[in-house]
Amino acid sequence: MKIMVCLKQVPHQDARLDINADGTWIQEDNIKFEINSYDTYALEEALRTKDAGEADVFVVSIGPDRVGQALRTALGMGADRAIHVNDDEANGSDSLGLAKILAAVAKQENPDLIFMGLMSDDDNSAAVAPMLAQLLDIPHTTAAVKVERSNGTVTCDREIEGGAHEVVELTAPCLIAVQTGLNQVRYASLKGIMAAKKKPFDVKSVADLGLSGQVGTGAAKVKIDRIAPPLKGDTAEILSGSTAEVVAGLVSKIKELGLL
Amino acid sequence: MIEWSEQHLMIREALQRFVQEEIVPIHEELEHGDTPPYEVLRKMYSSFGMDEMARTRFEKQIAWEKQGKPPREKKDTADASTRADQTAMSLLPIIELCKYCPGMVTAMGVSVGLTAATIMSKGTIEQKERWGKDVLTFEKIGAWAITEPSSGSDAFGGMKATARREGDEFVLNGSKTFITNGPYADTIVFICKLEEDGVDSRDRRILNFVLDSGMPGLQQGKSLRKMGLHSSPTGELFLTDVRCGMDRLLGGEKALSKGGRSGREGAKDTFNMERAGVTAMALGIVERCLELSVKYANERVQWEKPIGEYQLIQDKLARMEVARMNLQNLVFRTIELAANGRSMNLAEASAMKLYAARAAVEVAMEAVQVYGGNGYMSEYHVEQLARDAKVLQIYAGTDEIQIRAIARELLSR
Repeated sequence: MKIMVCLKQVPHQDARLDINADGTWIQEDNIKFEINSYDTYALEEALRTKDAGEADVFVVSIGPDRVGQALRTALGMGADRAIHVNDDEANGSDSLGLAKILAAVAKQENPDLIFMGLMSDDDNSAAVAPMLAQLLDIPHTTAAVKVERSNGTVTCDREIEGGAHEVVELTAPCLIAVQTGLNQVRYASLKGIMAAKKKPFDVKSVADLGLSGQVGTGAAKVKIDRIAPPLKGDTAEILSGSTAEVVAGLVSKIKELGLL
Repeated sequence: MIEWSEQHLMIREALQRFVQEEIVPIHEELEHGDTPPYEVLRKMYSSFGMDEMARTRFEKQIAWEKQGKPPREKKDTADASTRADQTAMSLLPIIELCKYCPGMVTAMGVSVGLTAATIMSKGTIEQKERWGKDVLTFEKIGAWAITEPSSGSDAFGGMKATARREGDEFVLNGSKTFITNGPYADTIVFICKLEEDGVDSRDRRILNFVLDSGMPGLQQGKSLRKMGLHSSPTGELFLTDVRCGMDRLLGGEKALSKGGRSGREGAKDTFNMERAGVTAMALGIVERCLELSVKYANERVQWEKPIGEYQLIQDKLARMEVARMNLQNLVFRTIELAANGRSMNLAEASAMKLYAARAAVEVAMEAVQVYGGNGYMSEYHVEQLARDAKVLQIYAGTDEIQIRAIARELLSR
């Protein structure tokens, strides 16, 4: 069995985020990155499939050199090989552009299963997974909280409104976009991290995938116009002074507004 | 070596995740309760495959020795970059654990470092298989018993614990104190003097015995209360006529055939190894104190300004950073020497340990000072780190003993 896992490298959850000069993204210099948390659960699910039987698990990511570290971490955790689409032409791709790149990789590899996170921690669009499945014309499900495999079919519990679960059955090849928390993600073992250096690591360009001119900023139908922190409104009042003064001020404010 | 490699950084990140997920949630019970550290240490060993690696290394070594070949030097078993990675892999868990629980490192180091290392360097093949393997993989908890109520720095000279020969057996007596893992140890290396007629007590042979918990006459005292290092149980051992066969004497008959003041040299190698470990511990403590102090200096406001804007606080932060850089470079030097198949001489290891311990104490106390009244409260982590750091100036050779080793070497040039 061949399993493809799509990983995105995102700013570390503790990273200090500043907006870049043209206001379209964050400043990426000197901040730490990590694997998108949703994708770590997808990787774990793939590795569990591998542990349960024979499987070739390969991880794919798109982005600059720094993304190599995310892929090597995945290799350290137990993935067999990595494909890094590292090409400036991919920069500025919208969700569809990213899905096209991943679809091109999938067409070269013909995986039986594709695991990926439901969405990314940084831009939360949750669009790439369904688009990728559509481009490959394979069944997919999202928000999977339980995955069970048997001969050629995959049964998934999906999380839906109100905490209920919807059970879906998919026929392989298929794509499963997972919710966080569906498993306990393993640690990369020390030996695994050291062995990762020797595992196959392919670097591909957009041209290698036959997508020149079809992805990146030029082809993007969705462009980020501006990102900004929420505006500070004038409805908030900051109380200052000693603790006693602040508490007294708060009490009088509550009384004044008739909240009690 | 001038910086951590990408692999080293990946290991650090994985360890940091483990600390956040497995240790931080029980930090309070480990440091202010009575939860021993062994379960979480075992989880670390299995999560990172450290147990499997130790087992594989052990099996290779034993297979080699069974062919009757002499022990291999580390430099003969791997290339330079592998040796560097192996050393880094042993130091990184120390650094990361010390950011939260220096006591856990002590419990781990004494078990898999001191105890297992003594069995592996002095034991026969049978003894290594019987006791060494399980301690190396952390399946069993080890303790290394040398210190006594009246002998600390003068460990061998003042040692009162004895082994008396009675036919094929030895009868052991004595009491040991400040024994890390003492209350919980499964396997204990007990260091004592052979009773020899007509030989001055100072010159008697030193013998190492391996004891199992529960042996008749062996009593393991409960944890002693101490200033810091609460995540490391420390206790006393009392031996009353504990009877051992030759199978428990490390090295067997060979250990007895050596004459004169034998048995002391191995312990000195052990002291050397401890000194490198203490430097990594100091780095972990300093990195954490610096991180916390910088955060607090940015957040704490007095007279409408973050205290980090005051030069007296800046001075403290800058000194902490200097200590961090020095310690990191000493850790890099340890790794680089290992890569080249070399190690420090005793005086250099002592100088490194002396500096590291003092730097950790100074930085941790200054971190308390940056935090002011909050720093004195147990609620804030710097309070624990300051208490923990102090032990680095005392165990593994006091500052004074390090100074003596450095001065002796200088004066003998």
